[in-house]
Amino acid sequence: MIQHHPGEELLLTLAAGRLESGPSVLIDAHVETCESCRVQWRHLQAIGGALIDEAEPALLKTDALSRTLARIDALAEACNPNENVQGAATTPHAVLPNGARLPRSLRGSTISRWHWMGPGMRWSRIELSHEPQASLFLLRIAPGRSLPIHSHSGVEFTQVLCGSFDDGRAVFGPGDFDAADSGVHHQPIVCKGSDCVCLAYVSAPLKFDSKLAAFIGQRIGL
Amino acid sequence: MAVEARPARRASAARYYAAACSPGGATMPTNEDFQDWIDAVASKADKKAFAALFKYFAPRIKSFLMRSGSNEALAEELAQETMVTVWRKASTFKAGHGGVSTWIFTIARNLRISHFRRLPSSGSLDEPGMWSAEDLAANVAEAPDDRIFINQREHGVRQALAALPSAQAQILRLSFFDDQAHATIAQELGIPLGTVKSRIRLAVNQLRRALDDFKS
Repeated sequence: MIQHHPGEELLLTLAAGRLESGPSVLIDAHVETCESCRVQWRHLQAIGGALIDEAEPALLKTDALSRTLARIDALAEACNPNENVQGAATTPHAVLPNGARLPRSLRGSTISRWHWMGPGMRWSRIELSHEPQASLFLLRIAPGRSLPIHSHSGVEFTQVLCGSFDDGRAVFGPGDFDAADSGVHHQPIVCKGSDCVCLAYVSAPLKFDSKLAAFIGQRIGL
Repeated sequence: MAVEARPARRASAARYYAAACSPGGATMPTNEDFQDWIDAVASKADKKAFAALFKYFAPRIKSFLMRSGSNEALAEELAQETMVTVWRKASTFKAGHGGVSTWIFTIARNLRISHFRRLPSSGSLDEPGMWSAEDLAANVAEAPDDRIFINQREHGVRQALAALPSAQAQILRLSFFDDQAHATIAQELGIPLGTVKSRIRLAVNQLRRALDDFKS
């Protein structure tokens, strides 16, 4: 049962097209698995449609239609039957535990293999094809292990793909979404049972309390 | 029956196109008309149906884009590009996902995003997808072609939007139309950011209550 959601404001920002690619991927991943957010998301998108309908029509250039049709004809002549050849996530990429799967919003992106960042902790860098510099990661942490205690200089979005963690504020399980900002100082500890894999986005580097963790974080770009 | 319905619909596309060219013309087409025109474009490359879609949507997209901060030349360009994409993608339109206006809104929105992020303008349009978050839903058991249901929901959204208190509706409109962060909206309206956020929450919750019947 999904307990933690992105909230109306984020869904609205996404529906309106004002969210950057990095965070969008996370919200998409959440909406993909969360029925109630999917319903809201559709309603919010439908607002966009309603606003198009009620927009006061603007005057177009007189040849707008003929120019558009000419562009369509040019398309046909260029004869590209190749409509969306879409790259699947490029291998080699981080393999997920059994039963977990990558969100569809990562299709086409490059996912690195797992890198070691500490006992029981691994990370993988995700590069979106259309915005490779967005700071997106997969984190895979073993039961009982924890991410070093940190606060945030920007926002950190987390979508749990499998397993669960407890950061003292709440327990986050499969499908849960978390947004943490500068007001949150936490140490996510993975619950007993199985590895926890999260998709994470940071708008600015995390601020780790320990110097060693800060050093590692800086090298990873987290 | 379908055989009979088709010519009538196409005639209505032609009529709408002709009437829209003359002042005081055309009754407003419905989402069902739009769906028929999209179908005709997809299955028969029907340029009359496309022209009818163009007449209705292109000026509204241009207006939407101008309100979102694009200058006139760019808005015109992107409106045309949106319609080219409508032509290319007509066969991928899934009625089960929402109304035609909503679909076209997402195309225009994605083109605008691509433009401002200086992304390559084709190819990347598909990803992140027009309906990316909903692809999965389409695979889960769902009645994708229930046009009546979708039409009702589209209508429901419009009614719910109209029923919102004006302060809430204003915030939603600003969120969509003006390319502004919620913090900027707060500044311009001279209200605290917390108030913007709470109005969004109230508005979305009210929409949800109003649309509770349209769950899938």
